[in-house]
Amino acid sequence: MKNEKVDVVIVGAGASGSVYASVLAKAGKKVVVLETGPDWESSDLISSEIWGRRIKPAGAPILLEGKNPMAYAAQGGWGVGGAALHYYANFPRLLPTDFRMKSEHNRGQDWPIAYEDVAPFYDQVARDTGLSGDAKAEEKWRPPGESYPMPPMKTFRNGDIWLKGFEASGIRMVPAPVGMNSVEYNGRPACLYDGWCHVGCPIGALANPLVTYLGSARSAGAEVRALSTVTRVLTNPAGTRVTGVEYYDDKHQKQIQEASVVVLAAWSAQNPRLLLNSATDKHAKGLGNASGLVGKFMMSHHVASTWGMFEEDVQNHMGTIAVQYMSYEHYPKTSHASAFGSSFITAGFALKTTDLANSRADLFGSELAEYMKRAARNLAGIKTFGEEQPRPENRVELASEKDEFGMPLGKLVHSYDEDAVALWNANLEQGLKVAKAAGATEAWSARGAIPTSHLMGGTIMGTGTANSVLDSYGQSHEVPNLWIAGPSIFPTAGASNPTFTIFALSQRGAERMASQWGTLTN
Amino acid sequence: MAGIGRRGFVKGATAGALSFAVGGVEAVMTAQQARARGVPFRLLDAHQGETLEALGETLVPSAREAGIAHFIDQQLSVPPGESLLQARIFNFRPPFADFYRAAIVTADAASNRMHGRNFAQLAPADAREFVNLMRQNKIEGWTGRPGALVYAVLRADAVDVVYGTMEGYEGLGIPYMPHIPPEKRW
Repeated sequence: MKNEKVDVVIVGAGASGSVYASVLAKAGKKVVVLETGPDWESSDLISSEIWGRRIKPAGAPILLEGKNPMAYAAQGGWGVGGAALHYYANFPRLLPTDFRMKSEHNRGQDWPIAYEDVAPFYDQVARDTGLSGDAKAEEKWRPPGESYPMPPMKTFRNGDIWLKGFEASGIRMVPAPVGMNSVEYNGRPACLYDGWCHVGCPIGALANPLVTYLGSARSAGAEVRALSTVTRVLTNPAGTRVTGVEYYDDKHQKQIQEASVVVLAAWSAQNPRLLLNSATDKHAKGLGNASGLVGKFMMSHHVASTWGMFEEDVQNHMGTIAVQYMSYEHYPKTSHASAFGSSFITAGFALKTTDLANSRADLFGSELAEYMKRAARNLAGIKTFGEEQPRPENRVELASEKDEFGMPLGKLVHSYDEDAVALWNANLEQGLKVAKAAGATEAWSARGAIPTSHLMGGTIMGTGTANSVLDSYGQSHEVPNLWIAGPSIFPTAGASNPTFTIFALSQRGAERMASQWGTLTN
Repeated sequence: MAGIGRRGFVKGATAGALSFAVGGVEAVMTAQQARARGVPFRLLDAHQGETLEALGETLVPSAREAGIAHFIDQQLSVPPGESLLQARIFNFRPPFADFYRAAIVTADAASNRMHGRNFAQLAPADAREFVNLMRQNKIEGWTGRPGALVYAVLRADAVDVVYGTMEGYEGLGIPYMPHIPPEKRW
């Protein structure tokens, strides 16, 4: 069935899609957002880790391969709001060095833009969504910008108790910037610090898309169609322009949505899958894939977690899932003599019973029961996120198996290289030193499988088809009215949590699209 | 959002109820209550339920009484998109029942080789030793999904029913502090 043509069809109602929908709807464009999952409301967000699984991926699976398979289902989203419905709302930014990886270190690639091109949009997102933190304190490590609109969040003993250890290790910690309200902001209430952020914040203290961009998009007239699974991007016979998308609706009926512009905002694994499945005789390797780079350079952050058991009650049920303190002290890419890449250090976060149990995954039976009682009072953690270098062999490709709509499943192959393993180990060793200096009576590293946190790459930006799929705004090098948004456009990963940058780049891209609208629709 | 209430706001909490069939009638109760009332399994057979209870109890004390088998059985009977099982987070492909059935068959086969009886019939010390070997992928002749993965999934399920509920938090003395409390204190 054909639907009335619209100006923009956006695939995915998560962090990036919601920004595009908001900016373009407010610019007067007729916008339709297609989301494969349900249409959640704030009142659906039950405070329970068990019930919180309803907002994790449930559609066609991504097949996971490689030495270090991505924790795809734990990271992804399901439904309106996407992964940003359950994200931790840590809002650190990338630093200037991240944009110059090739120039400074002859590794990976440079971004086609500089930090200064993105900085104004960081500031704008902070104003629009609300951000709590201390910008001045961060400026030890980054160029100055606007002050944050809200003061830092409260801290608790589970965070404060680490400060002595960091100081002894020469690591300066500052209040972490978070997309949460330390005070009432824009009509949204202040945080209650009860740590249920990761299953969705129903009061709107956390800046999830339902209460920020998607809310404003809907107010401006954008239409969101939930349970609508896009299977192909359609092109004209010459292959020079996209004409819309094919999708299956909530009754599993095939639909066509024509649009002047198509924005893929379906996260890093699904964006390449859709492009590869949209191959035609004019785009034999996949839509917009003359470079052969669609699906390549998938990246993640490895996470070095250190746990400490303390004598005092650290009130680990209090706080937010976002961190209380952070440091860029080891962000310079050669900070560790034995490893390469940026490290982003964090401390202090609320724990739920699943976290307590997972902090000693080797324990079971009566030993686990005894441990849970102690951990409920005395356990606290720190985490250091580490950068993975982009490599083409970490990739998304189409599998031979198909989903219920006949679309090939995506296969995500991911392995860490020696640099990543060395950096993870260096950060674990650093964490243990901090824990001991902080006075932990027991301290241990979370060894075992190297965690994969945050998914980036797959349709990277660059200067042309020789090195990339998109330009810096997310516009296809080959098909001008095809745009892509989200972390899939990152050419390098940095080490800081990506969603703030996703919002900022999406705001930049959407404003560019609106300002250049005439060139896109001719 | 200005109209959204603070902690204790309960709209939508009905989505937190688990539904079990009792005498042909759907009833809402916790997995613990379902077990206590002897609610028949929907998909599992008696042996499978008994084995999941034995594995769960070995992994996390009180998992049997907390209704781990009824929880898993009930969750296997709902569409995968509505499932609350950890299998979803482990990126398993539906139907999730395949994993549990295969794990039970594999565990029983290994248990019979090692001790001459099914896992559910093992003495507690033998069950513990078995799980400890399974956790480390050290059971010879183990087939299918790795023992460490079976351990991780079943342990996570058992943690859910024992510690993931409001009662579980109470038992550890942790304030639950919900914005939207799960119905039936689940």
